Amino acid sequence: MGDKLSLRRVFGLLALYARMDLDWLLRDAKLSLLDAANGLIACLSSLSGVFLLAWRFGGVGGLSPWQILFMLGFTATVAGLCMVFFGSNNVAHISRRIGRGQLDHMLLQPLPLWLQLIAEGFLPFSGCPRLLVGLGLVLWSLRGLELSPGWFWWLSLAGYLACAVLCLVGLSYLWSALAFRWPVAFEEISSVVIDEICGPLSQYPLSILPPALLWPLVSILPAGLLAWFPSCILLGRPPLGLPELYPLFFTLGLWALAIFTFRKGLLYYVHYGSNRYTQGGHRN
Amino acid sequence: MFTTVQTVTPKAGTAIELRAVSKHFYQRQPAKSLADWLSPKRRQIPALDDVSFSVARGEFLAYAGPNGAGKSTTIKLLSGMLTPTTGEVTVLGLSPLKERIPLMRRVGVLFGNRRELWSDHPVSASFRWKREVWGVPKAVFDEMESLVLELLDIRPFYQTLARELSLGQRMRAELGMMLLHRPELILLDEPTLGLDVLAKRQIIAFLKELNERDQTTILVTSHDMDDLEEMARRILLLSNGKVAFDGDFSALRGALKLGKKALVRFRNQSLREIPYDDIGALLQELSALEGVAEIEFAQNSLEEGLADLFSSWKAPS
Repeated sequence: MGDKLSLRRVFGLLALYARMDLDWLLRDAKLSLLDAANGLIACLSSLSGVFLLAWRFGGVGGLSPWQILFMLGFTATVAGLCMVFFGSNNVAHISRRIGRGQLDHMLLQPLPLWLQLIAEGFLPFSGCPRLLVGLGLVLWSLRGLELSPGWFWWLSLAGYLACAVLCLVGLSYLWSALAFRWPVAFEEISSVVIDEICGPLSQYPLSILPPALLWPLVSILPAGLLAWFPSCILLGRPPLGLPELYPLFFTLGLWALAIFTFRKGLLYYVHYGSNRYTQGGHRN
Repeated sequence: MFTTVQTVTPKAGTAIELRAVSKHFYQRQPAKSLADWLSPKRRQIPALDDVSFSVARGEFLAYAGPNGAGKSTTIKLLSGMLTPTTGEVTVLGLSPLKERIPLMRRVGVLFGNRRELWSDHPVSASFRWKREVWGVPKAVFDEMESLVLELLDIRPFYQTLARELSLGQRMRAELGMMLLHRPELILLDEPTLGLDVLAKRQIIAFLKELNERDQTTILVTSHDMDDLEEMARRILLLSNGKVAFDGDFSALRGALKLGKKALVRFRNQSLREIPYDDIGALLQELSALEGVAEIEFAQNSLEEGLADLFSSWKAPS
């Protein structure tokens, strides 16, 4: 029972949660198939609206239908990666755990909080339908665009995908820190920011918007960095005159802020607790 | 205030030590004016107020008090979930907040109203999860697994999903899982909450055996005084965040001055309860009675005595 933290330990924990995910999925064949079908249908139906519009009108916002399809594939891949790596037990939607007083369970484990958060959300099997749809759309759109990119382009794609995923998770943790102070009021803040604002907005070619609306969407509420901005760069049409590494710099800044805010919130939580006397304390 | 008995424990063998620990919460007061509404007033609630005590290694301590006395707050302080407002907390020689990770390898914590088992997985999967996350060596895991499966009678539902278990089964499984890393200290917050008699008996017997066999230090909170008396040798009573009594159960009975009574059943099936202090006077009174069929002598229970005491403290509920 040593205290050493190593990559082996991290991969050991990831393997543990992967096995638990597979056990859960294989427990019931009907449930597994329904779960996979549900993931596929939900993903395709959420993307089809924008694609059909682009197809009908021969493109939207200066992007051709195939370019729109690439962008939709990118956003689905980002959502899929989030689901695979941070999907389980409200790891991405951490405000739910904080708001429900469930962070105490994590404090009882002899592991650093960050390691628990990295490992616990790993759903490589039940979380992958959206990822597969996203990757499929990206490959299909590349055929339609008649592109045959080199290794550097694929590396850039991986980098932009990683930045978008980390941007989404960083945004969740930044907002979720509010739940340390006002647990009931902000219990659902993460799902509001991620699922109801940034997620849906990331499916649109934002170049249709005037600059006054566009700039906030690549800074204050960075839905534009989740698919539109990186897709434009990867398709050779860098928007807004920003550098190609802007998503990386933004994500690093966002994470620095999120870590600072989350740590402050955690210290508040441990110092004051979230008890029945607190205005907006735990709902239980 | 009630009698306080100081228990002195040897430093070298101390499992828990609280030195002048206070923990205050703040309660917002209803606004009575616009000024109050704009800048709300807050009342300080002392969950713990200058509490000092220590628990020796191998000791079985009952930690009791009315609702709101500060029991759960103490458990949270001991397990590093909260910091004290003032004072110092040491558990197994470590600071719960600063040395949370090494401490959690040596401590087991169980809250009766919370779940640690994975709801959508069999109990066995939760046990395996515990082994991996705590990094329990295989030999220790195998030994503890067979021990808890046997003594807590978990085997019949070991492969059942946790969410399908009855409350009694779930608590036994939770307790079993908590013990898999063979903790030196166990903190239990109302582990028998809502359990039937059989499940309670199983858990109490198991905890007693664990304490006697392995000298595991146990601190347990409960509202059931009979359970606590059966399990623990020492009891620490809290009242409004202060230690009101610290000693053994016989001292508590003495301090409570539990009354004695004679229950008289008459031949016409009527009953009469006669409280007494002096047996001579009681016998004189009994000899004057006519139509007596049966006499039973009894002492007020600890539960009754404490109910009177808690009522006199008027603790917040």
